[in-house]
Amino acid sequence: MTEVSIEKLTKDYGQGPAVNGISIRIAEGEFISLLGPSGCGKTTTLKMIAGFEDATEGAIRFDGRDVVHVPVEKRDIGMVFQNYALFPHMTVEKNLAFGLEMRKISKAEIRERITKVLDMVQLAGYAERYPRQLSGGQQQRVALARALVIEPKILLLDEPLANLDAKLREEMRVFIRDLQRRVGITTVYVTHDQAEAMTMSDRVVVMFGGRIAQIGTPSDIYERPSNLEVAEFVGQVNIIRGKVGSGTISTPFGNLPAAGAYADGTEIMLALRPEAVELLPVNSGTSGVPAKVRSSYYSGSLVDYRLDLADGATVNVQTFPRTRFADGDEVLIHAPVDRFWPLGPIRGTEA
Amino acid sequence: MSKPFFTVYCLIIYAFLLTPIAVVVIASFNAGAFLTFPPQGLSFRWYVVFFNNEVFMRAIRTSLWIAAVTMVISGIIGTTAAIFYVQYSGRLKEAVRIAMLAPLLLPEVLTAIALLFFVYSIGIGTQTMFGMIIGHVLITLPFVFINVSASMESYDPSWSMAAQSLGAGRFTRFRRIMLPLIKPGVIGGCLFAFIISFDIFTISFMLKNVGTSTLPIQLFDYLRTNFTPEAAAVSTCSIVLTLIVVVISEKMLGLRLHRF
Repeated sequence: MTEVSIEKLTKDYGQGPAVNGISIRIAEGEFISLLGPSGCGKTTTLKMIAGFEDATEGAIRFDGRDVVHVPVEKRDIGMVFQNYALFPHMTVEKNLAFGLEMRKISKAEIRERITKVLDMVQLAGYAERYPRQLSGGQQQRVALARALVIEPKILLLDEPLANLDAKLREEMRVFIRDLQRRVGITTVYVTHDQAEAMTMSDRVVVMFGGRIAQIGTPSDIYERPSNLEVAEFVGQVNIIRGKVGSGTISTPFGNLPAAGAYADGTEIMLALRPEAVELLPVNSGTSGVPAKVRSSYYSGSLVDYRLDLADGATVNVQTFPRTRFADGDEVLIHAPVDRFWPLGPIRGTEA
Repeated sequence: MSKPFFTVYCLIIYAFLLTPIAVVVIASFNAGAFLTFPPQGLSFRWYVVFFNNEVFMRAIRTSLWIAAVTMVISGIIGTTAAIFYVQYSGRLKEAVRIAMLAPLLLPEVLTAIALLFFVYSIGIGTQTMFGMIIGHVLITLPFVFINVSASMESYDPSWSMAAQSLGAGRFTRFRRIMLPLIKPGVIGGCLFAFIISFDIFTISFMLKNVGTSTLPIQLFDYLRTNFTPEAAAVSTCSIVLTLIVVVISEKMLGLRLHRF
């Protein structure tokens, strides 16, 4: 197992940095996702770790050894490509044997390892097939097997699920995550799909414009986002205005204890996730903020409500469809104090 | 166009293209002493004359040898050029393509004259076959280039990247991944180079060294002083040879040969 350390890594193609001085420490056996919109530098970062792109500045260390000047073929990585990149003129077995032959491993051991890895990806009996005779999901698993059979120091995956249909994608998420845990290999996974990053990773690195916006566990990223951009990228969010005054933040939902050092009079943004909120009938006897249902969208396991507050603000709420409200109904919004997360001052209001 | 009309149209074109060939083939079986059509009686006598004609036999050997050498050189240069063109030429892509296809656009006689000046000015001259082979390579290069680029366009660069990530160096990646996958284009291009080189007249005529003759030149020489069906026999053999190459390539590569 390998510990990977990325230090002040920068890539500049000549039109301003595509990756701008990022640093990440990846622990042995950790599953890290690089998450961000297209053009945020996540794929460039992965290519630099693999060696397909030279770093303009900075270091990449595998167990303390700088590999920046080591060519791809000597870096000992396993890589899974978005389009799988299986060799079309070779059978599954030949595809899997390729990396082992490069390592001058004996014929007998190659055969043994291929049998083992095919079992692992549940494709025993497919050794003689050509890639074109396999389904997308099967090709995906062969690509994984080909990367893992060489027992590399680190596994790199570049949006490997992007070409699969929705149902298969969810199956493969679980499959890849289970496999990674069993093998215990240090893994870097690139994706623009926040659900994928959250369900699979130990930690998520959110990137925007070549910089790291936040590194943290999936719940850090979702519940305690470092700024508005991160909060919006990893899911739906309501932005609530609050005003700081004598140790509390006053919001339309009541007063919260002031977290962080904000001067009195500063207006700040608070993140409130749509599913953190409870909707209650008006006559339920509990306290809450009155609101009116503007519209609702039923999706089976959840109902999405758009609510109008008295001051004209809109709040999105997701609930289980136990009690249904119709458009135009008056309701009470109950939002627990600890579900508000401060995202920083609204510009120009700092006192 | 309606279907029957289209069929007739195609038939006329084929007749137009193939009739001269048919005439030559039929004339080669002429039993008479002169190249006439329709033939006066059927016989293989002119084939026997041809196969016993040491001058023609030598010309055929020379042509085959030059075609083989041309094919190898053109194959190597054209293939590497096509790989560069598709994967690395970037913004120069269009310029590279035009430069590579230029020999097709220039009249062969101009190319031949220019080359003649060239080989003399750099001191190679026409004492050896070297100048002629340069000319043949120049003319056949675009055919290799077109065929291999067509194959390269459907080559996914991530195949090379995957091989590299698995530990394959530059040469192994080329030999085990890229070459097998672009083989149809390479073989197709090389066969084209071979057939076209076998058929080139103008360049060979200008650049040949004294005392050697390729088959087309020898045939031309022969027809200036003789008018026997032996010329038709030579032509027929040449047609058959070409046909064999085409059929082999079709069998091996199928319609992929015609993808450009």
